Amino acid sequence: MQHSIKDDYINSIKNYTNQFEVTNFRRIACNDFKNWPSPREETWRLSRLGSLSRKKIKPINPNLKKNNNNTTNLIGSTIIQFIDGAYREDLSSKLPSGVNLSVLSDSESLKYLQKIKKSNLSDHPSTNVSLSCTPSIMKLTVSKDIKVKDFLEIIYEGGEDSQSVHPVLYLELEENSSLFLIERFNHLTSLAMPLQLIELRNKASLNSIKIFNDHEKTYNLSANCVYLSKESYLNSFSLIKGGIFTRSETHAYLNGCNSKLNLNGVYISSDNQHHDLTTAIYHDVPDCTSKQIVRGVLGGKSTGVFQGKVRVAQDAQRTDGQQMSRAILLSDTASANAKPELEIYADDVICAHGATVGELDDDQLFYLNSRGVPMDKAREILIKAFLEDMINQSVDNSLHDFVFKEAELALSSIIPKETL
Amino acid sequence: MSLLEIKNAHLKLDDKNILNGVSLSVNKGEVHAIMGPNGSGKSTLSYMLAGRDGYELEEGEILLDGISLSEMEADERARSGLFLAFQYPVELPGVGGMSFLREAVNSRRKFLGEKELDHLAFVKEARKEASKMYVKDEMLKRAVNVGFSGGEKKRFEILQMAMLKPTVSILDETDSGLDVDALKIVSDGVNAQRNNDNAIVVITHYQRLLDYIVPDFVHILSDGLIIKSGGPELALEVEKNGYSGLINAA
Repeated sequence: MQHSIKDDYINSIKNYTNQFEVTNFRRIACNDFKNWPSPREETWRLSRLGSLSRKKIKPINPNLKKNNNNTTNLIGSTIIQFIDGAYREDLSSKLPSGVNLSVLSDSESLKYLQKIKKSNLSDHPSTNVSLSCTPSIMKLTVSKDIKVKDFLEIIYEGGEDSQSVHPVLYLELEENSSLFLIERFNHLTSLAMPLQLIELRNKASLNSIKIFNDHEKTYNLSANCVYLSKESYLNSFSLIKGGIFTRSETHAYLNGCNSKLNLNGVYISSDNQHHDLTTAIYHDVPDCTSKQIVRGVLGGKSTGVFQGKVRVAQDAQRTDGQQMSRAILLSDTASANAKPELEIYADDVICAHGATVGELDDDQLFYLNSRGVPMDKAREILIKAFLEDMINQSVDNSLHDFVFKEAELALSSIIPKETL
Repeated sequence: MSLLEIKNAHLKLDDKNILNGVSLSVNKGEVHAIMGPNGSGKSTLSYMLAGRDGYELEEGEILLDGISLSEMEADERARSGLFLAFQYPVELPGVGGMSFLREAVNSRRKFLGEKELDHLAFVKEARKEASKMYVKDEMLKRAVNVGFSGGEKKRFEILQMAMLKPTVSILDETDSGLDVDALKIVSDGVNAQRNNDNAIVVITHYQRLLDYIVPDFVHILSDGLIIKSGGPELALEVEKNGYSGLINAA
């Protein structure tokens, strides 16, 4: 058989996991990683991993002495730091009461694996590779009835050239608890494969903001599996702006009646960046609501993808599922793809979706010009408004400014180039 | 010298002749009304004056205060003192009314060599002008024209006019979509702007608006040509006999 770089990567994972017993979660996960997804697989057709599979990469051996690089403006009052995929207690804050962070035991890790394997993320490369190689699965729990007031911020850093990083998180919000979580992906590595399982128990409420801002050469294949119980609420917003290739894939299961999900995202892409938001929402029980707004701004030769599947099971009557994606192309060489998909088996549902890809609106530009605003400024105003409008709709008031500023930073690199 | 001079304007859209030699002189302190049936070229004329892409002259010339507009983009024309009140004001989701006004006013002030207004001074000025147009503070906080009623949109247009203090204003069917009360507010707003240093061109289908904004001159546009000019009585003639009588006579 022809020797390939891809085999090198698989072999290095195998060599590492072979030291564990056959029944260990790492061994099981490793056996399931056969190859990088091929473009023949429907959900990877628009986001191809060909050039990643030709890279010489090895899973990282975390350096527990490496220092953090917190140049970003922290907003949370509690910081949880991951470096090289490993939790670093020495660089993290003390947690507020009712919030607990622990390392999963091998048997708990096996259960974690089984839960993910039941989802449609079972074959995702980050599921299998990250479960094989993660330093440990970290579990963050918010206890019953605890409403955490301050923002909790998780920062993922580290990695090296030619190495892959594997932070794995288990987030459980117990009954009637609530949390504001901000996560920042600032890796400086060839490949980051964050994996998350999120379980929201009855009446739990999570506000989640993820900012993907990895190094310009980084591939980030983020995989997220979310289970929502009765009357729980997840308001999730992702801002994708960094990396050469960032794909955030989320599968959300609405398993409890009256649960509510907002799964929103923005991508801002320039140069040769490729950004992908892939989501699947499964309405399995009656009376749940899901809402998705996705917006993209693309310049240079960048490409953007939004794939959003909504499946409404036969029993999921009175489902309300809305999905809207819009992308604005600022250059002739940028492109965006939107693939909404509705699978509806129930008859009493309200589901709507819409997708547009286009340039800035001529009427709007002319209106601004006719008021004396020069063309480049008019474009800037409209692009910012396009995002601000959406951010205001989908992010909690207290974080509007923070999120908008993060978006603005990325815009500054595409607006002047495209308009001058 | 005329404040606005249109000389023999010819314009084609998609190979179709729309303006076929329009000439018009507007002096300081004057209000001119251009009336005409549907499809006569009224809106094209206003877009052409404002400098919309695709509405460039085939032949002819326009001068604003003696300066040719042909090489100027829309934004430059606006900064130079030309204002177009839109027939259908455009919605700008996400662009707040106050910051929009400020951007526009400061662009004009910069051009005139005046200092940009600071935030507080600007807000004070905007509120003062807004109250004259019955534009509530709350409306200025909303996105421009988004969810505005027909009347609110037109009031917001005239508020912009009041704040930009243009030398020549083109009002494109400003009466469309207005009930009597709104028409009065908008007209009062326009009349308050009339002075001896500026000029206003009102484009309209109906005589009705001209009861409120009384013009010095009325012109009838038909098939891209001004076929008749006269005083306010010409508008009454249109009201009585329709356009067809005038067009047939021409």
